[in-house]
Amino acid sequence: MGRIKAIIVKEFFHILRDPRSLTLVFITPLVMIFILGYSISYDLNRIDAVVIDHAQSRWSKALSETFAANRIFVIQSRAADTGNPLSLAAAEQLLRLGKIKEIIVIPADFSRRLNAHGQSEVGLVIDGSDTNVANLVFQYTERILLEFTAAMKGSGQLLKIDTKIFFNPEARSQFFFIPGLVAVILLMISAMLTSLSIAKERETGSISLLFISPLKSGEIVLGKTLPYIMVALLDGVIILLFARFWFGIPLRGSLIVLMLFALLYIISGLALGILISTIAPSQRVAMLATLLSTMLPSFLLSGFIFPLDSLSPILQAISYIIPATYFLRIIRGVILKGAELKHFLFEGVMMIVLSMVLLAAATSKFNQQRKAVQ
Amino acid sequence: MSTPVPAIAVSDLHKSFGHFQAVKGISFDVLPGEIVGFLGPNGAGKTTTIKMITGLLKITSGTIRIGGLDNRKHLAAIKKKLGYMSQKFSLYALLTAMENIEFFGGISGLAPHELRARMHVMAEQVAPDVLRQKIQDVPPGIRQKVALFVCLLPEPEIILLDEPTSGVDPEARRNFWNEIYGLKKRGKTLLVSTHNLDEAEYCDRIIIIHNGDIVASGAPDELLRRHQQVNIEALFENAIKNHGQN
Repeated sequence: MGRIKAIIVKEFFHILRDPRSLTLVFITPLVMIFILGYSISYDLNRIDAVVIDHAQSRWSKALSETFAANRIFVIQSRAADTGNPLSLAAAEQLLRLGKIKEIIVIPADFSRRLNAHGQSEVGLVIDGSDTNVANLVFQYTERILLEFTAAMKGSGQLLKIDTKIFFNPEARSQFFFIPGLVAVILLMISAMLTSLSIAKERETGSISLLFISPLKSGEIVLGKTLPYIMVALLDGVIILLFARFWFGIPLRGSLIVLMLFALLYIISGLALGILISTIAPSQRVAMLATLLSTMLPSFLLSGFIFPLDSLSPILQAISYIIPATYFLRIIRGVILKGAELKHFLFEGVMMIVLSMVLLAAATSKFNQQRKAVQ
Repeated sequence: MSTPVPAIAVSDLHKSFGHFQAVKGISFDVLPGEIVGFLGPNGAGKTTTIKMITGLLKITSGTIRIGGLDNRKHLAAIKKKLGYMSQKFSLYALLTAMENIEFFGGISGLAPHELRARMHVMAEQVAPDVLRQKIQDVPPGIRQKVALFVCLLPEPEIILLDEPTSGVDPEARRNFWNEIYGLKKRGKTLLVSTHNLDEAEYCDRIIIIHNGDIVASGAPDELLRRHQQVNIEALFENAIKNHGQN
């Protein structure tokens, strides 16, 4: 008993005398419960959709208005630039760009069939790149159509739904998860490469020789970043090839476009790793901090598992500063929808901004740390 | 005749880590061309002092001047004068001896042809096949040689060696001190910390530090005479005992 007591006492000393690890132990659950509490939700707060009304009849207008009146659906019927009614092709382009999640097509004979046969059809085209969201969109739409049908019951008329799922017609969840996993893994690996490399230099003492050398902090950061860009890019290609040939995930867009954005994404990850290394005293803490700061936000706040529209406004705001938010849209767009470079100009700009901010912050913090010991 | 500007001038230097005072107001000079031994047991404050001189550790209070320049104001200029070999040698374990030399030559701004010219010196002392081994696989004596070599690559005027002989065999230690003499002949100034008291005989002057305080300093022979001791070990024990009583 005395021997066990000695181990217990020693372990408590270790726990209590390592304040950084202790902070991690107590702060991490709070951060996790906060983020998970607000992010785990399969409710959608907003569904952007286009209604294409070929019928332009009393009943079709009533159906359009029912969707427009719903607080979740944000309906667009006309082109933003010309004001003309949207064609199906234009609506599909919006779907490809991720601007909308659904197209509701009311056929020209909608009212005639209702009047003649007591039933008619409504066509739905849903973005299937996120299978969870696609299911939710279908359920919300179905509910509105049922309500509309209920309102018409007096006349004994019914609506049938003809649904098409775009980009992932078999609704394979791997199509949705694997591109997301590529994004999460790539960020985690990139950040881990630099954070562990610098933490190791600190542990072995070789960082002292860099600090007293004529090297500027920016030179150290750049020198540490550039080789790992190549390593992480190669890693990215290997993961994508594995996804393509093992899981059968299609690559409908250009690999070059994807790798171009991956380069920006990797730079942000590497810079994040350097930033982490400035606060991590050891490789162990660096690894833990990297895992937490890359995986948690990338899984929960980037739109990977839970749609961004289901997050609280605060977490939605936070999602804008998470590199995975943008890369996820790009990788799903390029892989599943065959989207092109021009479709991701905003995401590209945001990723450049985030990479530059993270690199500047990493250099500044690294420099501060270098000066702090001097 | 005017007094030369000290290569290193330390004045009333303090360093605290929280409530612990690692260095308690020490003052000393190292003159150009001298070999000064910084002697003391582990934890005496030797490494802390050397790290403050290099700028790697922040000074709590006091001043350090290198060639007359305050190291808090002119660190960039001072870095060009200083060479530092750390206690753990701090070489990159997975690089070969040669690759370590090339790396440190590169960050020192040495042109490849200059580096190649210097490599001849190293090649005379260490067999080429050993230089091609990973540094983690070579004996400590070779690691020590490589660490000193990379420290000297930028041709520093002042060389700070922190426990350079710890963990190496007696023959390697002797050879190392021969190299240090060679450096002195080339006009270099050396501050060498060690806990091996027998190494005091190699130094022009020694500074004995204990618990963050200087307890004795001077030329080894002069100190032995002044304190009426027969050897450095006895002198060291006597100085510590007297310091404890004061």
